[in-house]
Amino acid sequence: MAASTSESDLNTQVPSSNEADQPQIQAIRMPSMEEIRAQEVWNNCAVRSVASGVMGGGLGFMMGMFLGALDNPMMQEQMSGRQQLIYNLKQMGTRSWSSAKTFAVMGVVFSAVECVVEKARAKHDTTNTVVAGCVTGGTMSAKAGPKAACVGCVGFAAFSVAIEKFFDRHT
Amino acid sequence: MGGFFCHFLALRNSLNPNKNKAFLRSEVSMAANIPAGIDKEQAFGMAETEMEYRVELFNRLAQTCFNKCVDKRYKEAELNMGENSCIDRCVSKYWQVNSMIGQMLSAGGRPPM
Repeated sequence: MAASTSESDLNTQVPSSNEADQPQIQAIRMPSMEEIRAQEVWNNCAVRSVASGVMGGGLGFMMGMFLGALDNPMMQEQMSGRQQLIYNLKQMGTRSWSSAKTFAVMGVVFSAVECVVEKARAKHDTTNTVVAGCVTGGTMSAKAGPKAACVGCVGFAAFSVAIEKFFDRHT
Repeated sequence: MGGFFCHFLALRNSLNPNKNKAFLRSEVSMAANIPAGIDKEQAFGMAETEMEYRVELFNRLAQTCFNKCVDKRYKEAELNMGENSCIDRCVSKYWQVNSMIGQMLSAGGRPPM
């Protein structure tokens, strides 16, 4: 508080000859409780994981539709053009739905684990990403046995670290 | 930067019962209620001392927890979750230590050895 009052005193001592040239420096404005609450919404682990799941679902849907459109068996002898189109669309739909579900689960698990680990450690590191990636990869390949779970853990952890480094290149 | 003060304000408002802006007036009214024989000048002096103490406490708290919790390689403008929880814990511990030491110093004249 003392720092802000001294800074506002400093602002009023700006020489008047420069006022026309430089933009007026604004005093520090403390955020209101609404702004604090709005920012605190995104600190909640549940909110973050649900949002991440929705985004993952959307991404999986797009990818499934794209790949389903590419991969269509040409059976021109048995069906007419319109029936073939309907069949292609149905196949695209099922593929994109299953892909969306997979990606949504992946997004929810990754985001929830990363949020919980980061809150517990109280640090922003790559260790959070590694642990979250390992748990996500492990749970997704857990059905194929423990060895596949280990491989999935390591692979997905490496992938998520690579993605994070890719998105943080400017720092 | 607003995020850092956001967090401090939220915690400070929950910890500090003195929320209204006229601190000195509240301090004077608080001080005037307790003892009967103190005049206005003394109460005002006490309120001023109390105000200085609180300002100093806030500044030191903000400085300490900022140096401890926020990495100096500023990668983004907003506080992330790790820094938020670090600030929560830092402020809580600082407040507890401060009140504990204040109680110890005010109870006995000298600290117990």
